[in-house]
Amino acid sequence: MDRKEEKLICYLHSLPRHEVSVDFAERVMEVVERKSRPYAFFKKRVVAALACAFLLVMFVTSWPIFPRLEISRYFGYRKIELVFYSPVQNPKTVAVAGDFSDWNYLDMEKVKENCWKITIRLRPGKYAYGFLVDGKEWVPDPSAPRQIADGFGNLNSVLVVDGLNGE
Amino acid sequence: MHPQEDREIVREVLNGKKELFALLIHRYEDKIFNYIYYMVKQKEEAEDLAQTTFVKAFFALRQYNRAYEFSTWIYTIARNVCLDYFRKRKKEDVDLSLNVTVSEDGDTEMGELIEEDHSPDPLRTILNEELRGKIEKAIERLPVKLREIVVLRHLEDCSYEEIAQIMDLPVGTVKSYLHRARKKLKEWLEEYLE
Repeated sequence: MDRKEEKLICYLHSLPRHEVSVDFAERVMEVVERKSRPYAFFKKRVVAALACAFLLVMFVTSWPIFPRLEISRYFGYRKIELVFYSPVQNPKTVAVAGDFSDWNYLDMEKVKENCWKITIRLRPGKYAYGFLVDGKEWVPDPSAPRQIADGFGNLNSVLVVDGLNGE
Repeated sequence: MHPQEDREIVREVLNGKKELFALLIHRYEDKIFNYIYYMVKQKEEAEDLAQTTFVKAFFALRQYNRAYEFSTWIYTIARNVCLDYFRKRKKEDVDLSLNVTVSEDGDTEMGELIEEDHSPDPLRTILNEELRGKIEKAIERLPVKLREIVVLRHLEDCSYEEIAQIMDLPVGTVKSYLHRARKKLKEWLEEYLE
């Protein structure tokens, strides 16, 4: 480094340092505060909207929101036990079909002589159903208080599910 | 410098005590302002840009890597704010490339800027007004990158390593640019260095 360069560096170091106005920090903090508020407000609104959307999805749709925890059954579904006392003596098989199964047959379990049962999970609502005895005889539920014509000359029983424990 | 304390304050601010950010502002406001001032050469603009720097720093605080000095980080933000400013203004006399030589600018506000200096440091009063104006004008004539390096090294007293971090350049390049900048300054200030 030559003498001229040393002198230059000395001059550079001697240049004046400028200072900000006294209330600089205060003004910066005011801007920070002002800019923070809309963000916090926006964040709260987003959280609230997401919570509403989640509750809507949980209660209105039948999507399995918590399939592993099976929480949805406590909110949307009711456990219903259908018991069938067969008017036909000693049937070999009994199945149930209804709106809830898209009229597919669900095999029932034999509890004792002439008594068959099945447990299904249903959302609150009104369902038509009936029993198929020995794979050929369609029998409405003798214990159901309401029956409805199926339009083909037979009768279906009506199941109404409401309340926490179902019917 | 207060490296450990800076990190401690950052941690506290991130934990919700955002009012503590004012401590960091007080600590670095003059340095950042001075750096920006020598870059843009306009006091009011410099103060606005310094404010923008601190506001940006506050909202980017989660991105601050505590392995590095807070001072280096805040200089990096100030630098980006300056570069944005230059881009926005599209100043014809601001050369963002090192290849283009220098801009020929008038010495309009030099006098009043010198009068605004109330530095108590006796060393700084050694320079008479004329010489001070010539040096500031010469710094202003440097291309932006060279000007930045001169300001960081000789006015802000940053180390080569700190400048390399701030400007994201290898240390060797910083030294080389600084050499080029001094050479230019020597050339322009020849008569005052005899």
